[in-house]
Amino acid sequence: MTATIALLGQPNSGKSTVFNALTGLRQHVGNWPGKTVEKKEGTFLHDGKEYAVADLPGSYSLTANSDEEEITREFISSGKADVVCILADSSQLERSLFMMADYAGINVPSFLVLNMADVAEDQGKKIDAKALEDKLGIPVIQLSATENKKYDMFFEAMNRAIENKSLINISGLKTELEKIEGFTKLEELIPDGSIENYSALWLSAKAIENDRLVIDKLKNTLAPDVIKEVDGIRGAGGGAVSTGNSKFAWIDELLAGVLQKKDDQVKLGKLDRMYLSPVWGKPAVILTILFGLIGSFIPALPFMGLGQAIGGLKAPIAEALFSAGVSEILITVICNVVLQSFSYILQMLGFVFGVVLVFGLLEEVGVMARISYVFDNSMAKLGLQGKSVMPFLISFGCTMGGAAGTRVIDNWGQKVLTIALAWAVPCGAAWSVIPMLASLFFGPGAVLVIIAILLTMVLHMWITAKIFGRKLVKTGERYGMIMELPPYHKPKWGALFRYVLGRTKDTFFRVSKVVLLVCFLFWALSYSFVPGTDPILFKIGKVIEPVTKVFGMGWQLFMAFIASSVGKEGALGVISALFNDGSFYSAFSDAMSGAGVAADLNEVLLSNVTKPEALAFIFAITFNMPCVVALAATYQETASAKWTAKIAAYYTVGALVLSTIVYHIGLLIW
Amino acid sequence: MSLSEAKANGEVRVSRISGDARFQSRITSIGITPGCALRVIRNDRNRPVLVYSRNTMIALNRKECSGIEVEVLS
Ligand SMILES: Nc1nc2c(ncn2[C@@H]2O[C@H](COP(=O)(O)OP(=O)(O)O)[C@@H](O)[C@H]2O)c(=O)[nH]1
Ligand SMILES: [Mg+2]
Repeated sequence: MTATIALLGQPNSGKSTVFNALTGLRQHVGNWPGKTVEKKEGTFLHDGKEYAVADLPGSYSLTANSDEEEITREFISSGKADVVCILADSSQLERSLFMMADYAGINVPSFLVLNMADVAEDQGKKIDAKALEDKLGIPVIQLSATENKKYDMFFEAMNRAIENKSLINISGLKTELEKIEGFTKLEELIPDGSIENYSALWLSAKAIENDRLVIDKLKNTLAPDVIKEVDGIRGAGGGAVSTGNSKFAWIDELLAGVLQKKDDQVKLGKLDRMYLSPVWGKPAVILTILFGLIGSFIPALPFMGLGQAIGGLKAPIAEALFSAGVSEILITVICNVVLQSFSYILQMLGFVFGVVLVFGLLEEVGVMARISYVFDNSMAKLGLQGKSVMPFLISFGCTMGGAAGTRVIDNWGQKVLTIALAWAVPCGAAWSVIPMLASLFFGPGAVLVIIAILLTMVLHMWITAKIFGRKLVKTGERYGMIMELPPYHKPKWGALFRYVLGRTKDTFFRVSKVVLLVCFLFWALSYSFVPGTDPILFKIGKVIEPVTKVFGMGWQLFMAFIASSVGKEGALGVISALFNDGSFYSAFSDAMSGAGVAADLNEVLLSNVTKPEALAFIFAITFNMPCVVALAATYQETASAKWTAKIAAYYTVGALVLSTIVYHIGLLIW
Repeated sequence: MSLSEAKANGEVRVSRISGDARFQSRITSIGITPGCALRVIRNDRNRPVLVYSRNTMIALNRKECSGIEVEVLS
């Protein structure tokens, strides 16, 4: 590796765009060790040399307020980066240079990229990058990150920064900061290098800002009487507001003679007058998401067709293998584990592809920020961002799509919490089963059942938000929205498609593992290894029937419940087979591949299942784990096996608790 | 008065920012500092307050706005 480059910049400055343009498909998304923050790393080749690049988590400053900021700081100060690429938005230079001002004083080489050059030009702004470079002492370039051909200047600036180990000239900032009472004294008390890689100026400013990490570290390095003096000056320093003032004053000074612009006027465009309207905002957002959902199916269709075709190959392949004399065990493994898994996975990938494309587009264009604005108040009650409303709505169609849609949520904890809550939303498959079962048993009362399910969903989400929210979104970190509403951007199709394809490929590998594993386990538990005997799952079901009776489920219903956590559509098929004394295994396998339900299902159900049992069963399968693909998508998005397992276990137990409650209420009624 | 009471379409100047260290650093880093002028774009009940400053449209949660004192310019 020749060098490691870290991308630093405020949200919407174009970090991810640059990251994607540099790395293409050579990227990896994971989690920072021990932290709940997404880690994006990749590599690229330039002039035959390999470089590593890290997309640092988004934040507006470098003060240690959140995991995101701490990780960024740690990454930079530990020397993991050879050079830091600081990004700013040319169309809003005054504000977006703040990150650069906050970085100034860190002794790690850097260069500055003034991104969105095209937007600034459209606004009639002229920026003299060379003049800024002379003032700052580090390479400064203008860039339109979305135009792939224009990266020559980027590489040139990067190499110059690495070679010259260029550091920001902080004398102007120093003058401004020293206007703060006691700042000069502070710089003497905390000399350069008190903490490695940081200058006295940077540490003094952070001390005034009450930066927790800096203060803790200083306590370990400085003498107690020095600390006392430092604390005295800090207390009177005016906090981040006064250092912020100095930084903006410095930025204004830097931009004098560098930036020429016309007076800008704000007017809300048509689209914003609708999205931001107190009356029409919510309907407009909901409609946008619903159209997005429908739009997601269009690119998904070819994949889905292919997936179903693979499912359809099962029978002919099984037959061919059988006549070739292959053993039955092997045939079922090939057909019912491998082919079945890939049939699921492909159909799912199609949908992931569609959702990521359509909602990635909405994000890219700037609509997602408006969604955040409109639903900020409602979602804040659950500890979430306004954007979380989107995955919830998608989940009425498909939970896996909802999970994929959480990609636009930039805070990991809120992302996991959103997925955990989205599982409680009954998906399309559930909606195809519930009304049928409900009207069979309760006639017109089915409407009441559906209302009860919707109310339970709301309650479930509320309780789940309480339980999971405490860990995932700590109350101390629940700050209200302070966010930029970026101007609308034209979508950049090339970059978007490459990103979406990359994500789909990534999803494919990760998800395949999970789906294959679960399908294999299910197969092993439900296969009769000794002909004529019951499979393990079958035996266990019968043995624990006294327990499952408490939940309101005899063993047949309980087996169907288990099957519903792999796929909801399968539950009915399993029921009809089991009450007909059919083989559980073939019932499961057929049902999951979409085979029709026995014609006499209605009579079978009515003669074997009581009303309270039926009601309990409806609730149990509705609020159970949605399906194996949703499980896999959750793992893919959270990048955490631990949280995926937690959510799955929580929903399994939760469904049984609900079913018990509903069953006993049912017993009181009937 | 607090920013959350400011009228839409008016121009205000920030006179004081108060709150814990974290709030201070968040609000400063998005570009709102004492002395800077804000144009209030929208101020609707149950929605964040929308202001325009330093070339940027910014949405601010109503509760957070209580820490931002402003004086009316126009
Ligand atoms: N017109 C234009 N749009 C850009 C440019 N760079 C990024 N964008 C768009 O700006 C938005 C935010 O960029 P993104 O990379 O997500 O920013 P991040 O939050 O820093 O990761 C996206 O819609 C990008 O397509 C650019 O140079 N010109
Ligand atoms: Mg990004």
